[in-house]
Amino acid sequence: MRLAQRYNRANMLTSLVILVITGVVYYVAIHFILTDKMDRDLVIEEKEIEAYVRNYNKLPSPGDFLHQKVTYLKLNADHKIERDFFYSDFYNEEEQKTEPGRSLVTSVRLNNHNYQVTISKSRVESEDLVQFIFLITIAVTILLLVSLFLINRFVLQRIWQPFYDTLNRMKAFNIAQNEGVKMQETKIDEFNELQTAVSGMADRVKKDYRELKTFTDNASHEMRTPLAVINSKLDLLLQDKPLEPSQAVLIDEIYHAVGRLGRLNTSLLLLAKIENNLIPEQEKISLGKLVQQKLKQFQELIHNKQIALEQQLEDKEVIMSRYLADILLNNLLSNAIRHNEMGGRIHVTLNDKELVVSNTSKEPALDGQLAFERFYKASSSEGMGLGLAIAKQIVGLYHFHIEYNYHQGLHIFRVIF
Amino acid sequence: MKILLIEDEEPLRESIVSYLKGEGNLCEVAIDYGGALEKINLYSYDCILLDLNLPGGDGLKILRAIKKMNKKEGVLIISARNSLDDRLNGLDLGADDYLVKPFHLSELKARIMAVIRRKNFSGNNVISFNEIYIDVMGMEVKVRDKLLALTKKEYDLLIYFISNQGKVIAKNAIAEHLWGDEIDLSDDFDFIYTHIKNLRKKLVEAGAKDYIKSMYGVGYKFEAI
Repeated sequence: MRLAQRYNRANMLTSLVILVITGVVYYVAIHFILTDKMDRDLVIEEKEIEAYVRNYNKLPSPGDFLHQKVTYLKLNADHKIERDFFYSDFYNEEEQKTEPGRSLVTSVRLNNHNYQVTISKSRVESEDLVQFIFLITIAVTILLLVSLFLINRFVLQRIWQPFYDTLNRMKAFNIAQNEGVKMQETKIDEFNELQTAVSGMADRVKKDYRELKTFTDNASHEMRTPLAVINSKLDLLLQDKPLEPSQAVLIDEIYHAVGRLGRLNTSLLLLAKIENNLIPEQEKISLGKLVQQKLKQFQELIHNKQIALEQQLEDKEVIMSRYLADILLNNLLSNAIRHNEMGGRIHVTLNDKELVVSNTSKEPALDGQLAFERFYKASSSEGMGLGLAIAKQIVGLYHFHIEYNYHQGLHIFRVIF
Repeated sequence: MKILLIEDEEPLRESIVSYLKGEGNLCEVAIDYGGALEKINLYSYDCILLDLNLPGGDGLKILRAIKKMNKKEGVLIISARNSLDDRLNGLDLGADDYLVKPFHLSELKARIMAVIRRKNFSGNNVISFNEIYIDVMGMEVKVRDKLLALTKKEYDLLIYFISNQGKVIAKNAIAEHLWGDEIDLSDDFDFIYTHIKNLRKKLVEAGAKDYIKSMYGVGYKFEAI
């Protein structure tokens, strides 16, 4: 649930409850006040009747009263009447309908007789007033809720907009790119503070990342000289005479290890270079020709494993660095040869949409999710597990797409342009 | 031939000198910027091996100085920097070749020979070894006037062997020379065997002696018998 929605809901609910409660209290209070006023009117009438009786020694005629009715009832001598206000029905002769009324029952004494006096008034006006007030209250309530809703909906959204902007910029933040999280001045202090904190953090992270990168880069470069020393000493050692066969085996193994270390180093530097965007210039490349050239370069290796090569090459021009195009094809093709079996097959297809390299292999299907991860490799692989990671980086750099599938014994690598 | 090696890393310097010297070759060394400039000023060489990371100054400055002096020496850069920019910079400034560390001494030797050949015999670039005669410009190999049909890789291999005659070359070095070190081939270099077998067969069939010997299963040696 979004913050605004959540806030909106709480806000509206509270407003509604409070408005309902105040509405009820308001209604009861007004009702009480109006009834009290009506009762006082009735008491005034009562006083007038009593005064009339005292002055004229007779009961006033019931018709003398406007908008109210008075009825008399002669009581027995011992019959006492309790003075009381009550709600009653009031018959309006003019409009010929029964209306709600308020009555006062009391007694007067005239000529030693007790008379019960009932004074009734129509309550219709006060009821109308109450209803009118009630309607106004309802209208105000609805207006208030609607305006609250609109305020929440539009004003809140606008107020929070900088927050969402910041959020989007954070999502778009890429540590490997040079751009940081940009600040955008807003009128709200909290958001300004948030942006300052975020861009400060982004800058720190980038700085740390840069330092780490520089360190890796330097470390990789520094490693090359000792590697060169080892290699050259091995080359010299090989010239020594006589060399025992067991020593030769040792030298051979050290050669292998140093060779791998050197290639690992080169691959790591290459990955770092692609990430840092230190790529040589792009140019128009005829991929078809390049694939043919590579296949020719690898032909002895293909031949040596008695691999049947099938190629369907159309020409396709791409704009990319020749150096990286070279490495991409090297990696895909050398994988297809290296992981192949004796007498296996390799299919290379190139058309306007895609480049597909598929090969047979004794190895089971790779995990499509992990195949392009760094240092992922099939257990039987002698490689370093960086070739496909590099291929993916290169492909990503030019906004191509690479995917892996396994179908009927074929490992299929597809570069989609 | 006379070579100047400008390299500050002592063990590497020693290895290179030890590999290059002999057979009438002379290899002098300079260990820093100043020493290098002094030697270049005073003497002339067939080839200068130049490390780019030197104490006391960038190796590229030395290269600029060499070119300013109008010296005819071939310059081969040996650098730990594998950046393409450095490579292009070096070549733009007039270096003849660029070799990235780590490298095999046999590769270095082959590159030096190629640089010197290009410098000395422009237009008439020929390698000969006893009865074998290679016209590098025409890419032709003859054994006693009999033309040999070699594949590109066999041809490269032969020149590589002759450049490193008398030395044992590791299979690793051969594989990297033929396929480039950026290709992550299998660690099993047996496939080289096929190439060498074919080259040997073609040479012997054409009447050359069998100069290529397998050494302890680690490498091969091309040697006059």
